[in-house]
Amino acid sequence: MRKPELLAPAGDLERLKWAILYGADAVYIGGPGFGLRANASNFTLDEIKEGVEFAHAKGARVHVTVNMVLHNKELKGLEEYLKKLEEIGVDAIIVSDPTVLKIAHEKTNLEIHISTQQSTLNREAVEFWKSQGATRVVLGREASREEIKDIIDHVDIEVETFIHGAMCASYSGRCVLSNFLTARDSNRGGCAQICRWDFDLYNENKKIITEKPFTFCTKDLSMLSYLPDMIDLGITSFKIEGRMRSLYYIATVVDVYRKAIDSYLKDKKHYKYDQSLETILRNVANRDSVPQFYHGIKDESCQYYNGRVEISNQDFLGIVLSYDIEKKEALIEERNHFEVGDKVEFFGPNKGVKSFEIQEIKDAEGNQIDAAKHAREQVFITVPFELEKNDLMRIKRL
Amino acid sequence: MSKILTTLNQLSDYKKIESDIDGVVLGVKDLSVNYSNTYTVEEIESFLKTFKKEVFLSVNKNMHKKDLSLLEKVLKTFDGKVNGFFYYDIAVVNFKQKLQLKTPLVWAQEHLTTNYSTMNYWYDFGANYSFVSAEITLEEIKEIKKHAKSKLIVPIFGRIPMFTSNRFLITNYHSYFQLDQKKGHFHLEKEGNQIPIEEYEEGTICYSPHYLNGLKESLLLKEIDYFYFNSYGIDIVTYQKIINNYKKATKENQDALEQEIDFLLEGNTDKGFLYKETVYKVKS
Repeated sequence: MRKPELLAPAGDLERLKWAILYGADAVYIGGPGFGLRANASNFTLDEIKEGVEFAHAKGARVHVTVNMVLHNKELKGLEEYLKKLEEIGVDAIIVSDPTVLKIAHEKTNLEIHISTQQSTLNREAVEFWKSQGATRVVLGREASREEIKDIIDHVDIEVETFIHGAMCASYSGRCVLSNFLTARDSNRGGCAQICRWDFDLYNENKKIITEKPFTFCTKDLSMLSYLPDMIDLGITSFKIEGRMRSLYYIATVVDVYRKAIDSYLKDKKHYKYDQSLETILRNVANRDSVPQFYHGIKDESCQYYNGRVEISNQDFLGIVLSYDIEKKEALIEERNHFEVGDKVEFFGPNKGVKSFEIQEIKDAEGNQIDAAKHAREQVFITVPFELEKNDLMRIKRL
Repeated sequence: MSKILTTLNQLSDYKKIESDIDGVVLGVKDLSVNYSNTYTVEEIESFLKTFKKEVFLSVNKNMHKKDLSLLEKVLKTFDGKVNGFFYYDIAVVNFKQKLQLKTPLVWAQEHLTTNYSTMNYWYDFGANYSFVSAEITLEEIKEIKKHAKSKLIVPIFGRIPMFTSNRFLITNYHSYFQLDQKKGHFHLEKEGNQIPIEEYEEGTICYSPHYLNGLKESLLLKEIDYFYFNSYGIDIVTYQKIINNYKKATKENQDALEQEIDFLLEGNTDKGFLYKETVYKVKS
């Protein structure tokens, strides 16, 4: 069995590097046009080139989203854009509009992945996309285990499924609430996330049902506990949602899934589900997560009511910039307030978690201070074990 | 003169509007979404014996594994007997090729049908018709008409489906708050908008807060092959008047006829996106 790909989102070059450092086999990014996250920072062509060079040097791949649903005026410049992506050396493009597929297939040698925006859920549709030159299909989030298996059993094509992150309340591509209520086009990257708004629900007598707000809002997806089963099904790629998410979120989620995948593949017979990884995922998220459609669950346990329960996460304390072995001192770039006495832990690529209690903090001039209070402030802390550049420090919650 | 296609809330409704329409679009039970009603194979077969104008069948839901055998059966049963199959799921295109179906397809991925190039792509796979997105402007429709090989079906009147989900959102809401759920029509309210919301066999759909009323624009789009009327939420007597107003519209009477429709629908009409361009990048 081929090792499945762990595919991470990256909103910019910095996050691309962190995703790969923390174990992603591939990243997907948005370019300067034709993508579905028009309001993310996205990459310039030069940045894509730098990202591709970085990824390839680390043995990772870069997929670029070209998954906008085109209007007439967006047809212009598409071919040139795709040729530039090919020239840069991106490994694949993710497309939704068949015009993009056709041009890419006929005019370039780019690998083509069908976006989840097409909500592909059955083998007949997958067979068609394969016949048109697609090498991979990103299945709709509504696909159940049985449906995924049926596709894999019947069509020789790469299958990519989401394993973590936010969900659409609708079939992807079939919601234009944003268009109607804010004039922002959801299928061209302008989605205003109306599904997270509160509404009043009325019955046919125009009477409000209750004062409790109605919302379309769903919980996030987390497939950690089903990962071994998904690996055994033969899914090619496991996708993490979230090109707008933070560096810390991406590094943490990638790290967790990397560990789970590697642990299972290393020794399937003796694999044990690691509850602590689930706790880490729960702590890094700002919403609850559940497995959802994999086993056909779509009841109220997948929804949010009573207002949004979204917690601003401040667990992420800092990034290790360097470590002095002789002094046992780490130079940390602060990301959230921390102080002497805090119990913290460090984690990094391909390593376990180590924790300790902060005894001493010094500012850049070597003066002792009680706390690191300023964003991106660089401070020294004494750490009794060796750290590496790019390890991350978070509050200890386990 | 553009032809008029309409949905039917009840099959028998056609009798009241038959003289003003050129064809109907029927949802098929268990294979369609975003219609007031869907019909069994037997009901459709019987209807075809009496209705002698154009009939399009809509198999426009997202197809899951369990739907494929019924889909194949319906496509085979009605191949050569109807004017076209509306499709959303690409499984329909694959079946057309595999089964060598004679009946043309209608590309009807409702919110994705926004450019002529992709219409021409699907044309090459037998989509002789395109059902044009209701979220594009009048000018975009005109440009599509200039370049598209397929015949165009343009929504000109009625509620627009704007949300299709595989989740039972009304049921989930009632379950969560332990409320007794009564059947019937629901709507959501937000900032003055009233949004019809209902569940179908497999999930939830929402319609636009207002009825699109493009009577005047129908006169500006005379080169369009078909205008599509959605009967959702309107009684047949009112609907009959509305279609008749479109049928008799001229430059001279257009204002009065359009206003009359607005009056019949209690002022709840608008122009949709015909003059409103959507945006997608909100920061520079």
